Amino acid sequence: MSASNSVDIQDAIRLCQVTDVAEGNGLQINLPERPPLAVFKIEGQIFVTDDTCTHGQASLCEGEIEDGVVECPFHQGAFEIATGKAISAPCSVHLKTYQPILVGEDVFVHLDKGSS
Amino acid sequence: MARIAIVDSDLSFNSEPDDTLLRAGLRANLNFPYECNVGSCGTCKFELVSGEIKVLSETAPGLSDRDRKKGRQLACQCIPMGECVIKIRQEEGPPAEFCPARLKAKLIKVTDVTHDIREFQFQAVSPATFIPGQYAMLQLPGVSGERAYSMSNLPNDDGVWSFMIRRVPQGVGTQVLFDGLTLGDEIGIDGPFGKAYYRSESERDLVCIAGGSGLAPMLSIARAWSNKPKGNQERLTFFYGGRESRDICGETMLQQLPEFNQQLQFIPSVSNTGSGEAMNSWKGRTGFIHEVMHGFEGLDYANSDFYIAGPPVMTQSVMDFLRESHAVPQERIYFDRFF
Repeated sequence: MSASNSVDIQDAIRLCQVTDVAEGNGLQINLPERPPLAVFKIEGQIFVTDDTCTHGQASLCEGEIEDGVVECPFHQGAFEIATGKAISAPCSVHLKTYQPILVGEDVFVHLDKGSS
Repeated sequence: MARIAIVDSDLSFNSEPDDTLLRAGLRANLNFPYECNVGSCGTCKFELVSGEIKVLSETAPGLSDRDRKKGRQLACQCIPMGECVIKIRQEEGPPAEFCPARLKAKLIKVTDVTHDIREFQFQAVSPATFIPGQYAMLQLPGVSGERAYSMSNLPNDDGVWSFMIRRVPQGVGTQVLFDGLTLGDEIGIDGPFGKAYYRSESERDLVCIAGGSGLAPMLSIARAWSNKPKGNQERLTFFYGGRESRDICGETMLQQLPEFNQQLQFIPSVSNTGSGEAMNSWKGRTGFIHEVMHGFEGLDYANSDFYIAGPPVMTQSVMDFLRESHAVPQERIYFDRFF
């Protein structure tokens, strides 16, 4: 994990602190007027994705996480956390991911820079 | 008959011989997760806690290697061989309005729709109960396995089930339908199934998007929309995509609805833009349906429900377009995933 103060955090949104997320877990972040995000910590590294499964209305933060893959608690569709790639049916639409910006212990993202 | 219990619950149900776990559960009015019923969508996963099952397809695409490693199975592909205990998550909300049931029906009418799509009408003795947009599994004489086809008509007390079916070259099932069956022949129908049924209570605009024999469920939905009491501001836009001009269909049926060319607009498009005689005679829109939608000004994406039925590539492209270009939430996009 590398913290940097040189990155541009103007217009970025602060989601949480790194320590708020337990290792091997996801933390749901509710934001006004948009679907929630998920902040995952896998082997110490922070990843940010949309929290809602692309197949049904399920929170991925409630899903099992194993080998860098999060599994939807509804129908066991699965996504690679790092890339958002859908790897198990019934999910076929990839999950949007966001580049986390770490400033000290704080996790920021640019919401408009998500990729799917 | 086998008794099936669901672990960590008081629920149990009976399974008739040769019934899959999924269908037996749905017949018992349980709200099992599913979409396709044929092993493709991967929605009906479960774990066998105890008992013995027969697996219909070991290579069903709905299960990933990851699922197999975890010992998961598809309820639509497993027949219990005796008492079983299973682990399965039930969907939230009320179960389906109509439990699927098996019935016999006789072929009463065949009508050409295009060069390779026909409408087949079957007559059963009991009322045809389903919600527009749903499908049934057809058991055809001499054909192993069943085929999923959507109804094109409206539910009715007369017991008439209509299906629009595209001939599949070398397809065993459609060969029987197109070349083997004669009027009066009997088939088995099991249904209704499907979650992409018409939500008639919505007052939003309706957008139907069809390709190939996906015309059938969209037509059924359009007919139901036409029948319901509604404000004169509620619109239906019906897109239909075909490869060539001879594939385009649906207009003659939609013309029967009083809203046609008023609240109801039909937008056909042909994707094969090669030269050729057939193409030269086509004066309408060209391009894939999601491209046509992109250039079409008349849709209110924020205030419409979208129903899709057609080839997988079309469904996926339209779904991607709706989500990425117009941020349409998934709860306003309805389709059953047969892929």
